[in-house]
Amino acid sequence: MLGFKESPWIIHYDASSCNGCDIETLACLTPIYDVERLGVINTGNPKHADIFLVTGAVNEQSKDVIRNIYHQLPEPKVVVSIGVCAASGGIFRECYNISGGVDSVIPVDVYVPGCAARPEAIIDGVVKAVGVLEEKHREMKAIANSLDQTLYLRADKSDAPEILALQKIAYQSEVELYGDNSLPALQQTLGDLEDDFERMPQREATVLGARGGQDGSAASSDRIIFLKAVVNGKIIGSVRGYAVDGIAHLSRLIVHPYFRRRGIGRRLLAEIERVFPQVSRFEAKTGHQSKRNLYQLAKGGYQTFKTEPFTPAITWVHLQKDQSQVPAETKGVK
Amino acid sequence: MILGPFAAGVGLLCLRLDHPRRILVGAVTFAVCVCALALVGLPAPTGLAGFPLNHHWLDLLMALVEIGMGLYVLYVGVRARRPLIVALMLAQAGLMVWFEWTYGSKLQAAHNLFLDKFSVIMALINGVVGGGICLYALGYMREYHEVAHREVADRRPFFFALLFVFMGAMFGIIFANNLLWLFLFWEITTLCSFLLIGYTQTEEARQNSLKALVMNLAGGLAFALAIVWFYQKTGSIELQTLITSKKSLVLLPAALLCFAGITKSAQLPFSGWLLGAMVAPTPVSALLHSSTMVKAGVYLVLRLAPVVTGTTVGLMVALVGAVTFLVGSMAAITTSDAKKVLAWSTVANLGLIVLCGGIGTYSAVWAGVLLIIFHAVAKCLLFLCVGVVEQKLHSRDIEAMSGLILNMPRVAVMMLIGMAGMFLAPFGMLISKWAVLKAVVDAYPALSIFIVFGSSATLFFWVKWMGKLLEVVRPREQIDNRLGLGESVALYGLSTATFLACLFFPVISSSFIEPYILCVFGQSASMSHGNIIIMTIMMVMILLFPLSFINYGRGVRVTDAYLGGANVQSSVRFLGSQNEVQNVTMNNYYLRDFFNEAWLSRWGARSCAALLGIMLVLAFWTVL
Amino acid sequence: MNPWLRLILYLVAAPVVGGLLAGWDRRISARMQSRQGPPIFQPFYDVLKLWKKENIVVRRSQNFYILFFLLLVVFTGALFFAGSDLLLVIFALTLAAIFFVLGAYKASSPYSFIGAERELIQMMAYEPMILLTAIGMYMVTKSFAVHEIASHPTLLVLALPGVFLGFLYTLEIKFRKSPFDLSCSHHAHQELVRGMTTEFSGRTLAMIEIAHWYENVFLLGWVYLFFASSPALGVAASLLVFGFVILVDNVFARLKWQAALKSAWVVAAVLGFGNILVLSLLR
Repeated sequence: MLGFKESPWIIHYDASSCNGCDIETLACLTPIYDVERLGVINTGNPKHADIFLVTGAVNEQSKDVIRNIYHQLPEPKVVVSIGVCAASGGIFRECYNISGGVDSVIPVDVYVPGCAARPEAIIDGVVKAVGVLEEKHREMKAIANSLDQTLYLRADKSDAPEILALQKIAYQSEVELYGDNSLPALQQTLGDLEDDFERMPQREATVLGARGGQDGSAASSDRIIFLKAVVNGKIIGSVRGYAVDGIAHLSRLIVHPYFRRRGIGRRLLAEIERVFPQVSRFEAKTGHQSKRNLYQLAKGGYQTFKTEPFTPAITWVHLQKDQSQVPAETKGVK
Repeated sequence: MILGPFAAGVGLLCLRLDHPRRILVGAVTFAVCVCALALVGLPAPTGLAGFPLNHHWLDLLMALVEIGMGLYVLYVGVRARRPLIVALMLAQAGLMVWFEWTYGSKLQAAHNLFLDKFSVIMALINGVVGGGICLYALGYMREYHEVAHREVADRRPFFFALLFVFMGAMFGIIFANNLLWLFLFWEITTLCSFLLIGYTQTEEARQNSLKALVMNLAGGLAFALAIVWFYQKTGSIELQTLITSKKSLVLLPAALLCFAGITKSAQLPFSGWLLGAMVAPTPVSALLHSSTMVKAGVYLVLRLAPVVTGTTVGLMVALVGAVTFLVGSMAAITTSDAKKVLAWSTVANLGLIVLCGGIGTYSAVWAGVLLIIFHAVAKCLLFLCVGVVEQKLHSRDIEAMSGLILNMPRVAVMMLIGMAGMFLAPFGMLISKWAVLKAVVDAYPALSIFIVFGSSATLFFWVKWMGKLLEVVRPREQIDNRLGLGESVALYGLSTATFLACLFFPVISSSFIEPYILCVFGQSASMSHGNIIIMTIMMVMILLFPLSFINYGRGVRVTDAYLGGANVQSSVRFLGSQNEVQNVTMNNYYLRDFFNEAWLSRWGARSCAALLGIMLVLAFWTVL
Repeated sequence: MNPWLRLILYLVAAPVVGGLLAGWDRRISARMQSRQGPPIFQPFYDVLKLWKKENIVVRRSQNFYILFFLLLVVFTGALFFAGSDLLLVIFALTLAAIFFVLGAYKASSPYSFIGAERELIQMMAYEPMILLTAIGMYMVTKSFAVHEIASHPTLLVLALPGVFLGFLYTLEIKFRKSPFDLSCSHHAHQELVRGMTTEFSGRTLAMIEIAHWYENVFLLGWVYLFFASSPALGVAASLLVFGFVILVDNVFARLKWQAALKSAWVVAAVLGFGNILVLSLLR
């Protein structure tokens, strides 16, 4: 069907490039290469674009800008990093101000090598990116069409990579809110996350000492329970929780930005509450400026009871809810 | 109906307490509205209904009032050391005294008052819109004195008394057939205007009120001359006689009366007093200077339309109106003071009506009456809203009204309705402007250039303002949104009136305006059936707009505005070049290099003064 | 032709014709720049792609203004082709454009704000001329109704040469081409990103594009009206005018708004009003 292949619109950003790759990129628009015959338009505006072309390595100043622009691109979107500096930092990799290639900030889909990358290579990269774009779009459409068949299941260790990727995407909006990417959710590595599937939450283990946590036969309250919302085999939402001392701590309720406002978050919350029938209280926390989350939690019956400054930018707001307020239902999560 | 408000005014003078005042104001307003509506159903729908009221004591009373007013004005002029006031008043008074002395007993009119459909419309406007303003003034003045402007002496009984005296005088102007009576009421409105503009008793207010007095007195002098001349020529002092007389006979009085109307409606070169009148509290601005008093001036001009149509005098009048429209519209672009924008816009729209009167064909007068109706309602609504906003935000600047749709949603929506009502299809003013264009093209195509350029200028400043209300660059502020009862009634009432007037405009046209035009000209204009349907469709489409908000926010992702990637956590803060966070500010274009307000009003005033001079010379010429 | 039939034809065919015109525009411009250019159907691909994109907004109500912009533009064109009053058509178009501007204001972003202000200046610049065009046509045909103007026996452009030239000048503004593409140009993104359309994406942007197609067809229809008494000449003239507009676009650079406003008003006053003055004196 007619779609992205016929009309890929790009936005081009120079992170800290020497402009070599930029000149080659813009050369694609000139009569010799004439990329407009493929339908490509260089819009200066992320909201109109599908493909994000980035040149140059990433330094402190460009990190926020890249994230900003990336967030303002409507789905489905792809990122193409052009030139070797954008791929990995290039010859500037070791410099004190460079944190690496573009993929240290946002997920990249296509890497175009070269220094400077040739126009033919760039066009080739854009064409590949269009393929990825179509892929993504197909996936999203399939998911969007079958949202009513969302399955809410227990997640296990093999889901960790997907959940981590989703986490990084979902927390982009929080980074936007606070301008601070030191959120633990974003700093978590794959190894950390996989460990989370195995063991008790760190804090509680040290407090309680040797009690509990080691015998695998313990009830689900001894481990972190992960739930996932799955559509067509893709995870689009997740939440985790663990119970200690009759209190269930819920965290990392994430839904893919594209599928928000459709009740998935609410359902995940309800499901994880149902996993802990034996606790007396539920606790959750979120940032003080995350109005959406606060609203959702309030709607689910949670009330604020404590605030805790975390960084100058972020203050955690702790909310709680009593077990008695959880509506009783017969169906549970398998 | 004339005496009722007068009595109420006197009564209000005595009331110092707020509560009984409110009851009285409410009751009288209600009574006035009922009476006005009752007029609609009167059994003499098309013709004149004369009421002979030949009581001697009435004449004596009027004479006494006139003398009293004259003396007061002289006193004011002397105290303010304004020789012009003294001179004008003396000339005027002298003339009238001589006139009445010489012809005293013969000054009888067969019908002192009369009623036709045009009067009914004006009465409705005066009663309903004017009454609404009085209700609004209750809450507004309380806030004004108790909170905002403690330094102004609380002379509220006096204020309200004046408001009602003025309303009574307006009814007098509308219903009077006897020119002497008309003159009396005319002068009463001048005096009320003077007193009300100077209400706050600041230096600026005093200066402006004196300016208003001078200009209106000049008009009054012209009025007096007109009456004398007319009587000399025809032996009658009735307005209807003047209208139906032979043109060559009455052109001079008609020209003089038009002059008087032009001063009262603040056309160039007499616009200064209207612009200066904005220092007064908002109900004054609304009542006197947008909806009712200035309408008296254009009412007179429209009444005289059958006399001046087709003559050069009429052309001059039309040109004055046209130039005023153009200058007013362009000047309104350059200012960011909300009340000044409204003032210039008023001047401009009155210019359009004067243009209609000057052209004087049946289609022009039809358009003119429509303009009066719609302008009165919409402009009043806007003034009242601006008054409320000024009180809550403590600023009259349009730039301060940014994001008002979030902070004061209901008032903002009403302002948007008012503004749409001023220039947007399918609202009333657009219909009127359309009718004016058609009338102009048929009569004097050359005049169309003024309308065409003027209307594009009006578009600019209204939409600019509308956009300012809609844009949101600051987080929501907590503003005390509550409106007093009187204010709510007035505001909601006027908004509904704006809508209803547009929806029912065909009915209004056919039942009021067309019979009047038919009666005066023998043929009438109207809008074709097909066009009415199209207008209705457009109106329905606009009404659907709020419904689109039902699906608000569904399926969309909210992000920040594009600030070149430099956003810092929001749409309106960004990292500037020195690595410090800066706020986005967006101010409207005022095009001050392009349109210079001072230059425009100076040259506009000069050309209009020249036009008026030519008009008077030509009028005198016809009698020589 | 039955007005209802014309109306339905317009509603259905105008987007197709408008899109093809836009496609030809890009192709011809590309050829003028020694490039190949996109396929003729490119605008349709663009709109279809935009329809599939996510809808992101800055303020949640901003898209509703655009929806009404589209509806009212379609309404305007429908009125025109059904043959009703020309002045009413102009006012309906103004109403539609105002909804677009209000939507841009609502988006509350600096670029869309500047785009909106400039669009208002543009509207102020062309409105006198299009009103004078309507008046000129009235003076020749004694009617404001489009179907009567269209059935007038003589070639209007012969009596209205000044008005026609002035109208062409304004068309450059209305088609949003250089030198007057001040408010939401396709090429100005070094100056004001996308101007008024900056904060619109996905379906809303597609709607803006479609609205422009409807509008362009309506404008070319108005050009046809100048030559209405000989239909073949009319269609040829419309296409030629369109080609001419593209040529001017490629030859000129963008003007500042002061120059745009001044020149448009001078043209309206001299050419447009001059023509009307002459006509009224000859009457």
